[in-house]
Amino acid sequence: MSSASEGPRRRNPASSASRATQSPDVELFDDRHSTSYIPPGAWQVAAESNKTSMAVVGALTAAAFLLRFYKINLPDQVVFDEVHFGKFAAFYIKGEYYFDVHPPLAKLLLGAAGWFAGFDGNFDFENIGDSYTDHHVPYVGMRALPATLNSLTIPIVYAIMKESGYPTVIAAFSAILVLLDNAHIAQSRLILLDAQLVFFMSLTIYAYIRFRKLRYLEFTTEWWGWLTATGVFLACTLGCKMVGLFTFLTIGAAVIVDLWDILDIKKGHSMEHFWRHFMARAISLIVIPFIVYLSFFWIHFAVLSRSGTGDTFMSPAFQETLRGNEMLLNSQELRYYDIVTIKHKDTKVFLHSHIERYPLKYDDGRISSQGQQVTGYAHNDTNNHWQIIPTKALPATGRGRIVRHEDVIQLLHVSTKSHLLTHDVASPLMATNQEFTTWPKDDDTRHNDTLFQLHLNDAPEGQAWKTKSGHFRLIHVPTRVSLWTHPKTLPDWAFKQQEINGNKNAQERSATWFVDQLIAAEEEEDFLNRTSKVAVAEPKKLNFFKKFGELQLLMLQHNAGLTASHPYASNPINWPFLISGISFWTQSTDQKQIYFIGNIVGWWTCAVALSIFVGIIGADLLARRRGVEPIPDPVRNRLWNNAGLFVIGWAFHYFPFFLMNRQLFLHHYLPAHVCSALAAGAVLNFVLSETINYPISIRGHLTRAKPKMHSDLGPKALAFVIAFALAMTLMLVYISPLTYGTPGLDGEAVNHRRLLSTWTLHFAAKKTDQTV
Amino acid sequence: MKPDQVTLDIGSPPRTPPRLSSDYEEVPYPSTHWSGPNQGEELPLHYMNEDKARRRVRGTAGLAEDTGDVMQDIGESYDDDGKEFYNKMRPFKGSFTGGRPRHRIPPPPTNFAEFVQQNQEHIPPIIYTLLSCWTRFHLIGKSNVVVWDEAHFGKFGSHYLKQEFYFDVHPPLGKMLVGLAGLLSGYDGSFDFKSGAEYPEGVPYVAMRVMLATFGVAMVPLAWYTAVELGLSWRASHLVAIMVLCDVALLCISRFILLDSMLLFFTFTTVFCMAKFHNQQHQSFSVDWWIWLFATGYSIGCVTSVKWIGMFVTALVGAYTIEDLWTKFGDLRLSWRDQARHWGARICCLIIVPFIVYLACFKIHFLILNHSGPGDSQMSSLFQANLVGNDFGKNPLEIAYGSKLTLKNMGYGGGLLHSHVQHYPVGSAQQQITCYHYKDENNEWIIHPRWNEPPLNLNDPIRFLSHGDVIRLQHSPTTRNLHSHTVAAPVTKLNNEVSCYGNATVGDHHDYWRVEVVDDIKQGSREHVDRIHSLTTRLRFRHETLGCYLRAANAILPQWGFKQVEVSCDKENNPKDVHTYWNVESHWNDRLPAGDTKFYKSPFFRDFWHLNVAMMTSNNALIPDPDKEDILASQPTDWPFMRLGLRMCGWGDNQTKYYLLGTPLIWWGGTISLIASTIILGIYLLRMQRKYKDFEPEEWEHFLYVGKVAFVGWALHYFPFFIMGRVTYVHHYLPTLYFSVIMAAHVIDHFLLTSRRLAENTKTIVYSVIVACIVANFWWFRGLAFGIDGPITDHKGLLWRKTWNIYHQ
Repeated sequence: MSSASEGPRRRNPASSASRATQSPDVELFDDRHSTSYIPPGAWQVAAESNKTSMAVVGALTAAAFLLRFYKINLPDQVVFDEVHFGKFAAFYIKGEYYFDVHPPLAKLLLGAAGWFAGFDGNFDFENIGDSYTDHHVPYVGMRALPATLNSLTIPIVYAIMKESGYPTVIAAFSAILVLLDNAHIAQSRLILLDAQLVFFMSLTIYAYIRFRKLRYLEFTTEWWGWLTATGVFLACTLGCKMVGLFTFLTIGAAVIVDLWDILDIKKGHSMEHFWRHFMARAISLIVIPFIVYLSFFWIHFAVLSRSGTGDTFMSPAFQETLRGNEMLLNSQELRYYDIVTIKHKDTKVFLHSHIERYPLKYDDGRISSQGQQVTGYAHNDTNNHWQIIPTKALPATGRGRIVRHEDVIQLLHVSTKSHLLTHDVASPLMATNQEFTTWPKDDDTRHNDTLFQLHLNDAPEGQAWKTKSGHFRLIHVPTRVSLWTHPKTLPDWAFKQQEINGNKNAQERSATWFVDQLIAAEEEEDFLNRTSKVAVAEPKKLNFFKKFGELQLLMLQHNAGLTASHPYASNPINWPFLISGISFWTQSTDQKQIYFIGNIVGWWTCAVALSIFVGIIGADLLARRRGVEPIPDPVRNRLWNNAGLFVIGWAFHYFPFFLMNRQLFLHHYLPAHVCSALAAGAVLNFVLSETINYPISIRGHLTRAKPKMHSDLGPKALAFVIAFALAMTLMLVYISPLTYGTPGLDGEAVNHRRLLSTWTLHFAAKKTDQTV
Repeated sequence: MKPDQVTLDIGSPPRTPPRLSSDYEEVPYPSTHWSGPNQGEELPLHYMNEDKARRRVRGTAGLAEDTGDVMQDIGESYDDDGKEFYNKMRPFKGSFTGGRPRHRIPPPPTNFAEFVQQNQEHIPPIIYTLLSCWTRFHLIGKSNVVVWDEAHFGKFGSHYLKQEFYFDVHPPLGKMLVGLAGLLSGYDGSFDFKSGAEYPEGVPYVAMRVMLATFGVAMVPLAWYTAVELGLSWRASHLVAIMVLCDVALLCISRFILLDSMLLFFTFTTVFCMAKFHNQQHQSFSVDWWIWLFATGYSIGCVTSVKWIGMFVTALVGAYTIEDLWTKFGDLRLSWRDQARHWGARICCLIIVPFIVYLACFKIHFLILNHSGPGDSQMSSLFQANLVGNDFGKNPLEIAYGSKLTLKNMGYGGGLLHSHVQHYPVGSAQQQITCYHYKDENNEWIIHPRWNEPPLNLNDPIRFLSHGDVIRLQHSPTTRNLHSHTVAAPVTKLNNEVSCYGNATVGDHHDYWRVEVVDDIKQGSREHVDRIHSLTTRLRFRHETLGCYLRAANAILPQWGFKQVEVSCDKENNPKDVHTYWNVESHWNDRLPAGDTKFYKSPFFRDFWHLNVAMMTSNNALIPDPDKEDILASQPTDWPFMRLGLRMCGWGDNQTKYYLLGTPLIWWGGTISLIASTIILGIYLLRMQRKYKDFEPEEWEHFLYVGKVAFVGWALHYFPFFIMGRVTYVHHYLPTLYFSVIMAAHVIDHFLLTSRRLAENTKTIVYSVIVACIVANFWWFRGLAFGIDGPITDHKGLLWRKTWNIYHQ
């Protein structure tokens, strides 16, 4: 006799104990694992048996592989961000240094996949739509990696729900939400990072739940194992994308609640015991992940040993560690009376001067000195040549003539025979900054205003000034302004060249210059090789931690700096409702396109489930505030602890995006979507039945037995989930041409698939209702 | 030595033996005395200091009654899956509310000494008020030039006196009070308050400053009373008053014709009323309770009517009220009727009353400003038509071909369709079209027939414009035509760009616009409109070839478009979108008769809403200009540790110089105390979890209550600035500072003044040192607020942080 057929639902777990006559629900001293219940009915026996579970998970996984590998070779062109990540994978294969805002793990994996697939790295993924087949790129092998990992995410999601004590049907429901989702499919069939991210994130949650279930067997090997696994997977998540920080926050929140509970004196633990717990988590969830995360960078640096596109982002010291770097090859010590060209680091213009003078009066009525113009000029020209003039006595030859950090120098403009000078006159464009001009070499009246102090960045005292690598600031001795330029151009009287002026802000980072080229030296014949005896072109060593620190800082800065607008960037508020997607790729000949969008049925179900969760929690709070306890304790605890963790995970993976100023895309929601799918399962279980599998934590030696409860869903749940899966399948199939990019659609078909008016699909037919 | 037993008759039931007194008094006399030498082992509580004794209570006496429970709890909850922290959310039990301790109401005084004694708490504020008068009024007229934002607010005050309509981002109450101050001091509104200009004879700027500084004076006694009502100790209350009195920034900002003194004043009153209301909790629905609840709401209304920053203190009251109602909700002794009354009272007094006050301010604002002025164009055309001195009423009524007109966008905050000779740097690179509020001839357009029709001939019979006509709109100064094409608009990328193209003879079919009438305010819906009227007819313009609609929706163009509003052509036809609605504002046509100056009423609520949206839009447009470095602006992160000050006027040697900078000890101390308070709160919570008993329940409630008011108040006044896009200045921190002052006093109160471990003498000494330091610190920096004469370099020792630009840039 199955309990599912019973009429009234049980309100109180205590009453289930009284029904011991029907089924031995309470088995007080059962110390075997929680999965070894004696279920109340034959139907449930069948549904919850290990065999069924394995069959279900097997089927789901197989379906996942099928859906993700279906026509994975199409399109055989570069799609969307494959432009970036395919390129980065190629750089790993070639060992060329590149710079990107994301941590290296996911890209390393892609690189490895490409290497296994036999990719030689000789394809530059230049534009969306470039053909792979024409260039013989083994792209399928590379795409297989995200597809495999995303397929494996399905059984993990299933296992998370199963380990959390939900019945098979519910676990399958959560897995289906991810399995049949167009967004996950579209994202994981391409050479992108999000599939790896989502995979490691779900592994983290799985490991943490396994760890939680062992809480009565603390400090056992298994307990340590899962705790450490959580930490390692956390590091992997963070290694894929910075979004992994949100996973850290999720696990962190759970750990804090856990520790707070252990601290409670009613639990009867000593402080010493608490500190042991605290240290265990600190080591496993902070120290170990940090080491693992560092190791990714270590591999990253070890693989990328050669000079590449990312060189210019890095400091000179860093660049000199890369084989074949220009800085390493051409860096020469500078000596007095050398003639050089000086380049601005950010805007790449040369310090330039020419015979023309500033106009006496500017358009806004301000007056200039009418001195010779000093400008920034982007092209090679003899007017870019400056000679370094000493202000101290020099030895006739030898290393005493080297220019060093903090030396006071003059710069002589070679073709007009005049010294660089600045003075307290407003610059042409900025009233707050000083004008730069030059002063004839023979006229000593303004000698002091031509003195500049050379300030090499991050240099120890006595450091020699070098070409290329010696980034410096030039500080005017009397007024302390630094030589500076900005992208604004001067009017026609200066041939639209860039303005150069004196910046009063001593901390201004953009006032950095370097010597681009050594043109000629006063006395020497073979000046280009004079340092070759001193430095050999072997890559230098730099402390790993210094490299890591520099790269990490740059990544964060550039991440925050990605503020440029993008036509498919969207506001986070739109994401859960799929208001708009991203056009990944189009091919106009066959009217094919890939439009990144989720399965509406699934995503809206998740959104509804989350709001139901909030409603239940709110109602529970209000009721208990009034002394009413409508939900049985075990069920409520499951709701708060387990579903609560999923919802916290969703919130942490979603809400921080509202605070970010960088450009945001729909695919940033994918980790949050997985969390919401988990939460949706938990909510569905709560809605369908007020029973759960309880307890699920593995009993320790000292734990007292607890009254047991079995989940009691009945066939209606199965019916619901099957119907739901069917609905999702239909939707998936219907919009699959947008997800797989094949087959092509005619205008009418495109219009039909534009389910929300906000979707911006290509090749839509012109609307016929043009009349008003 | 027992007394003899007495037989008592206490109504014992019959047939029981009469009870003896000993049945009731079996209390033996003590056989030993605690002071005996053999009792040394267990020292009585008196011998420990108080703190230690409390902790002992846990181990001995306290356990006696609790042991059973605790043990039971452990047994029960160890197996529990649940987390204790949310199981603790049980129905409300306690009755401590943490405010000022309640005192018996004393009998009426019978002699002077009693009177003084009973009113002792009112003596310090009197003294403080006098001191405050001195600081606020001392040398207030020293600088006879327009200092800093006096340029704005003085000017707005003048507008009230001249009754000219102006537009500003702040609500009107503060500026009306400026106007009132001007009125009372006999100012006629004729001065234009140019920044840095010298006040001419006849502008009573000193009187005006004094009147506005009065609000600043009142801050100090208010701070005292608030501290008292929050239940701080008397010395801590003095500390709050002294810190408010001695802060140079609060002082400096109160001494000029600015809104901040009023904003601060109403912020202070709001906190005060809230604290006062909190102390009436034990007598819900009493007269006092109603008075203070109402006063809180009224004060909220005033503070938000001065500046929108007042929303932050409103949020504090809101947070307080929610917590309060949540507590009440869990109080099972309260009937549902009482619950409803509590809710109703708060909705009434804290939402409806403030809203009415806010509305009333705008009503008065509109009533006073009934003349045309510089702010006209921010309002709807109909509103403008009602202003005295506006000539819209004389416009010809019906629009015809050849009419010259301006088009006003009817969306809230919409401007006039505008073009200027500058070109788009992106897209088609044709001449820009924008929406702009300033009135000049660049807003003027002429209605022309299509290219394929006979050109406009002034001798032909007049052809009136009607629904469905396809026309060409020619920009009058440049003779180019309003044009749209399939180029993405610069900001709203999904829409088509609208530009000005061609000239009087060159053009194409992309210049055609179909006029669609939506309705007419006077004539009714479209079917009843046969001719299009100026002002009242609502129009849409549909691009004839592309089918898109002319739209301006508050998207701001970058600097190259002078931050004017973008105009685009919306491909989606949304007939409800008011941003696609336009009306004819000015209308010139020599061949048509002038309209009669009929009055169309503009409904108040519509105007009110319109003005508020316009204020919001302008406020959001006050974003820092990336091309220009504003040395006055500062970031929120600069404030708590006072990284930057603000020069309020010119810095010449012969000018009187004012520098907006706080008293460093007060600002730094406040910030440190905020950090300290969160740390100690964390420590106390951890200790409570381990059942250390550091507090009596009422002490804990008080500690939490004051801490919450101060910390939440501070946070609500501080963190929103990070999210705001607009440019921020150091004076935005001043309301925030008040809460950090309260927190500083609270933390000192907690650790020092009410500490049980310290001797009274120690407290007095430390306290005196703190007060002396604050006063001395104030005295050192007083010049910044009182005005510095002569070269600034003569005044040494002011540069306590290198980042302050007191001496040089």
